[in-house]
Amino acid sequence: MDVFPVWLSLRVAALATLLTVVAGVPLAWLLARKHFPGRDLLSALLLIPLVLPPTVLGYYLLTLIGSRGTVGRFLARWDIELAFTWRAAVLAAAVGSFPLLIKTTQSGFEGIDRRLEQAAATLGHSEMSIFWTISLPLAWRAILAGTVLAFCRALGEFGITLMVAGNIPGLTQTLPLAIYDHVQANQLDQANMLSFVSIAIVLFLMVALGRIARLRF
Amino acid sequence: MLSVTVFRKFEDFTLDAAWTSDQPIVALVGPSGSGKTLTLQSIAGLITPDMGRVVAGGRVLFDSAGRKNLKPQERRIGYVFQGYALFPHMTVAKNIAYGVRDRDRSRIDRTTALIERLGLDGLRARYPAELSGGQQQRVALARALATDPDMLLLDEPLSALDAPLRRELAGELGKTLRDLGKIAILVTHDLIEAYRIADTVVLYEKGQTTDAVSKNDLLWNPSSERIARLIGARNVLRAPIAESSDDAIILDWRGGHLMAARSPSHQLHARVHDELAFFVRPEYVRLIRKNRPVTDGLRQTNLFSGEIVGERDEGTTWVLFFRLDRPGTPSQGTYDLEIEIPRLVYERLNISVDRHWEVSIHPGSIQVLPGH
Repeated sequence: MDVFPVWLSLRVAALATLLTVVAGVPLAWLLARKHFPGRDLLSALLLIPLVLPPTVLGYYLLTLIGSRGTVGRFLARWDIELAFTWRAAVLAAAVGSFPLLIKTTQSGFEGIDRRLEQAAATLGHSEMSIFWTISLPLAWRAILAGTVLAFCRALGEFGITLMVAGNIPGLTQTLPLAIYDHVQANQLDQANMLSFVSIAIVLFLMVALGRIARLRF
Repeated sequence: MLSVTVFRKFEDFTLDAAWTSDQPIVALVGPSGSGKTLTLQSIAGLITPDMGRVVAGGRVLFDSAGRKNLKPQERRIGYVFQGYALFPHMTVAKNIAYGVRDRDRSRIDRTTALIERLGLDGLRARYPAELSGGQQQRVALARALATDPDMLLLDEPLSALDAPLRRELAGELGKTLRDLGKIAILVTHDLIEAYRIADTVVLYEKGQTTDAVSKNDLLWNPSSERIARLIGARNVLRAPIAESSDDAIILDWRGGHLMAARSPSHQLHARVHDELAFFVRPEYVRLIRKNRPVTDGLRQTNLFSGEIVGERDEGTTWVLFFRLDRPGTPSQGTYDLEIEIPRLVYERLNISVDRHWEVSIHPGSIQVLPGH
């Protein structure tokens, strides 16, 4: 069995999740706690990847990061290529998993008794300090759940990845894409094997999540 | 010492509170949803009023005209939240020290002193979920005091406790607040609790307020019919004035004369024939024992005979609904007076069987209400 797609997928999913968490957690906090103009529109936009066809998302992403796209041309100045590389696969996986992390984390923040944050404010703590000492520690279960969900979603990303990273064996061929290829080529043994690996990873993570969430801290 | 004016319009509610108090401990009393907590939040800077001004001890915290709006972090206010809002993921010691900066030696000493003073020494390592209601209340108080605030705000500080503990802690809390010598604003829906803890009371009703009244005046000498109704006074009645002298007023009530003593502290501008509001304290109406000569002269004033038309068992007391033997509509629907007597009296006089009585109302127990 060619294990490259498995390693690539794990690496892509891990990096995509990192990106998602770093950008998504503060954004989820903003959506949960702050009122600003365009908040509802932003909230709706962030959910779009859940319902839009992956091909549409992939297409728009490609027009952005392709050699003629805004971001693509900008990065080309430093000779960084994004489209049809493993980095594009990371971006694709991040886009696909972002809504899951945002929604789960946002409801985690919304579930915190507001008075706790207000108490912290009257005790002299800045908003930044309140975020780190109160909001984040109290929402950790939701953040963890969102992170695991995002990782699993990233691991299974297919449509967007195909559009922006292609399906280049040994370069950008992730696990789901490899399974697709094997089925197309009627190599059902390999397809079975890789499918089993996918299920095993996701199942392991979900069971672990349930265990950890029951812990007190 | 304390002056609060806050106006804020919400979708279905308008807060329009304005009061001042020259006493340090103020209670805001009113039913839930009357704007008490919103007032506290405005004072603490947790919500911003549309208009208003908050001055505490000479320090302006908020002034919409002068565009001053200090952040909650800058107001030097200790806030004890309803339900206490202790940080569930921190121990008692960490909760209390949360507002204390590490390098500040005197503050750390004060935290230690507070932990000892409030009897929390053995609980330092516990988490809030492991504490009883009374202990949580003390931790919340210690946490609010640890930063040495100028003013304390307490939102229903006793409502999470059982009734016996409530009564015990009300006195204790009042004493603690007095010893601290800080300005304190207490929110409660319980007038008796306010009376036990605070110096002055502000009454809230549907977002509107009365001015701060000293607690004794409020209970024993309310100035208007509105205040009497807000404090839940019973037998709030109205009658035209028949005669008026320097120390008494004779009212024309239910076809008879009712003599009321004049309150020394309230100016009364009403004249003869003007309608006047007053109330009769139910526990001050006396039942006259039958087949016993009345020797006490005072008992012969305000003497009325009538029938008990209803009653309510209140546990240690009985409430009787008394209807006068006079033609005309009773002044409170089906009855004229609510009378409250101790259970012992109810049993001795065999009231469950004997329903016709003579009562006397002491002129000093009739409270005349000059304002509206």
